[in-house]
Amino acid sequence: MKIYKYNATQKLFGKASKVIPCGIYGHYSPAPLVPATDYPFFTSKAKGSRIWDIDGNEFIDYMCAYGPMVTGYGNPKVDAAAQKQTKLANCVTGVPPVMVELAEYMTDLIPSADWAFFAKNGGDVTNYAVMIARAATERKKVIMVSGGYHGVSPWMQGEGHHGVMDDDKKNVLVVKWNDITGFEKIVSDNRGEVACFISSPYHHPTFADNEFPAEGYWQKIEEICRREGIIIITDDIRAGFRLHMGGSSEYFGYKSDLTCFCKAMANGYPISALTGTEALKSAASKVFYTGSYWFSAVPMAAALANLREMKKINAPKIMMNTGEKLLEGMVKIASSYGYNLKVSGAPSMPYLRITDDPSLMLHQEWCGECTKRGAYFTSHHNWFISTAHNEKDIKRTWDIVDDAFKAIKKKYGNKY
Amino acid sequence: MNYNLVKAGLNLHAVLKNLEDIVEFDREMKELTSSWNTSIKFIVKRGPSATVKFSGGRCTVEPGIKGKASIVLWFLSPAHLNKMFDGTANPIPLKGFTKLGFLSKEFPKLTDRLSYYLKPDDKLMKDKNYLEMNTRLTLNTAAFAVPDIIDGDPVGKKISLKIPDGTVAMRILPSFHSVSITFSSGSAVAHKGDTDRPSAVMEMKNVALANGFLNGKSDAFTAIASGEVAIKGIIPMLDNMSLLLDRIQHYIS
Repeated sequence: MKIYKYNATQKLFGKASKVIPCGIYGHYSPAPLVPATDYPFFTSKAKGSRIWDIDGNEFIDYMCAYGPMVTGYGNPKVDAAAQKQTKLANCVTGVPPVMVELAEYMTDLIPSADWAFFAKNGGDVTNYAVMIARAATERKKVIMVSGGYHGVSPWMQGEGHHGVMDDDKKNVLVVKWNDITGFEKIVSDNRGEVACFISSPYHHPTFADNEFPAEGYWQKIEEICRREGIIIITDDIRAGFRLHMGGSSEYFGYKSDLTCFCKAMANGYPISALTGTEALKSAASKVFYTGSYWFSAVPMAAALANLREMKKINAPKIMMNTGEKLLEGMVKIASSYGYNLKVSGAPSMPYLRITDDPSLMLHQEWCGECTKRGAYFTSHHNWFISTAHNEKDIKRTWDIVDDAFKAIKKKYGNKY
Repeated sequence: MNYNLVKAGLNLHAVLKNLEDIVEFDREMKELTSSWNTSIKFIVKRGPSATVKFSGGRCTVEPGIKGKASIVLWFLSPAHLNKMFDGTANPIPLKGFTKLGFLSKEFPKLTDRLSYYLKPDDKLMKDKNYLEMNTRLTLNTAAFAVPDIIDGDPVGKKISLKIPDGTVAMRILPSFHSVSITFSSGSAVAHKGDTDRPSAVMEMKNVALANGFLNGKSDAFTAIASGEVAIKGIIPMLDNMSLLLDRIQHYIS
C-alpha cells in the first residue's frame, strides 16, 4: 500500500509559520496530531467524503472539517441553495427574508425551540446562552462538566492558560460527568447563585473515552435544575443533528432550555444558532449581542437546504448505521492482530482508542499509519461520519486499517 | 502568592541543582572540585532548604537538610537568599568558620561558572561546548523547577490538578540528555535521566533545536509541526506541563 509523503505540506507550513502565529492555529494546529509529520496540514480540494492535500494525496476524511461537513463536501443541493442566494444578496443592509424562514424551520424541527438566533461559531452562541441565563436569573455562576469544551472565551478555557485571568474563571463551577451527587453538592453549596448548567448532551472530551449519560442522569439533572431555577444549556454544537434531527436532548429524553447548534447545520457554510424556550425569549431580547456577518444570507440559505435534506433522508440514522458498520469491521480487524480497539460515543461521531497501551502511543502511531495510507484518523478527538461516507469508503478504510495494523504488528510484535 | 518564597525554592532546587552537571561535564570545574570533600547546607528561615555535597569528584544537590554538614549557611528570609543568587547579599555562616576561605575563594569559582553558563549571549552560544552546557542546564532547571512551581505558585497548583498521574520524559536527541518528571495526585518529582515506561514523551531533535525550544526562541507549535520536536503519549500531560514551565519566567529568567 502506498505510504504518503508531505513535502509540499511541510514547505508551505514553513512559509505559514513566518506570517501566522503557530503557522496554523486553534483546533487545526498540527500540534495534537501525533506525530504531526504523519499528517497533511493543507487541503487543496474536497468532494463527498474525500479530501486531497497539496501533495496530491487523497484521504477518506473522518474528521469532516471537525464536524461541519455532514452531507458531503460540495453537496449539490446545499451548494445550489447557497449559489441561488449569492445571486440575490448575502451581507447587505437589511435582514434577508431567509433568516425568518430558517428560524421558522428550526422551531418546527426542534421540539424545545420556540425561537432561534443566528451567529457564526459555536462559541458565539454558548457565550450568548450564558448571558441570557444570567440575565433571566440575575445569578452569576455557571456549572460546567470537567473536560467539557464550550469554545475559547476566557471563562471557557483552563486556568493557567495564556490570556486567562483568575477572575475569568471565578464564577465557573466544575462537576464531573455523570456525577449527580457532585452536582447536587455544588448546587447546594451555591444555592441561589447558579444561573445555568452548560453541558454537551453526552461527554465527548478529547484524549479520553466518550461517555453517554447514565440511566436517568439527564432526568435527574432536569429535576434538580427545575427545583433550583437553574437553566439547562445544551451545547449541541458537536453532536447536534448527528444523533437526532430534533436535537440531542430529544435523543436522551430531556428538556433543554437553551440549545447551541453549529457544526452540522449548514454543511460547512458559516452559521451557528441558539434556540430557546418561550420563557427565555424576553431575556434573549434584552441581551445585546451581534456580529458583522451574523445576518449573512448565504449560510442561512445553505442551512435551510442542508437541514431539509438531512430531515428528508433521516441523516442521523444513516450516519449511525454507517458508523456502526465501519466500526464493527475495524474492531474485528484489530482483534485479528491481537489488539483491542475500544469504541465509545455515538457511532456517528465515535472516539476510538487501542487499549493495549494506556499511554496512547500505540494508538497514536496506528492513527498516523492509517492517515499515511489515506484514512484521515486523529488520535485525540472524536471522529465524524457524514451521509457521504459510503460502502466503498468503508471497504477501502478496512483495507487501510488492516495494513496499518500489519505495520504496527511487524514493528512491535507481541510487545503489546 | 509569596513571590520570594517561590523564587527561593526555584533557586535552591532548580538552579543550584545544576552544580551537579557543571562538576561532571566542565573539565575545569571537575578538576577544581576533584579533591573537595565537604557539604553545605542552605537554610532559609521560613523557606526552603538544600544540601550540596562534594565527595569523590562528584557533586549532589538535594532538597532538605538531612545529615551532618561541614558548612551551614543561614538566610534570614527567602528574599535574602534570592539577593545572594542575584549577587547583592551574602549568607550568614552558622557553621564552618574554619572553611571561610573555601567559601570566599573556592566555592565562588564554581557558582560563578554556574552564572556563566546560565547567562548566555550570542557570542557564547556559538561555542559548541557552551551551547551544550547551557542546553543541559536549561533542561535541568525546567524539570527541577516544576515541583516548586506546583507547591508555591497558585496558578501552578491549579494546573497540576489537571495533570494525570504518570511520568513525562523530556529527551534531547541523539542520546544527549534526558530528564523525567513524575506527576502524582497534583505533585511532582523530577529526575535526571530517562524512564522505561513514560506516559508522555517530548523529544527534541538535537541540541541546537532544544536550546531554541527551551529558551522560547523558537515557536513550540512550529517545532512540533515540522517534527523538530516530537511529542507523543498523554498529550494533556505535556500541554499542562508546558503551562507549568511557562510559570518559571515569572520568578527567574
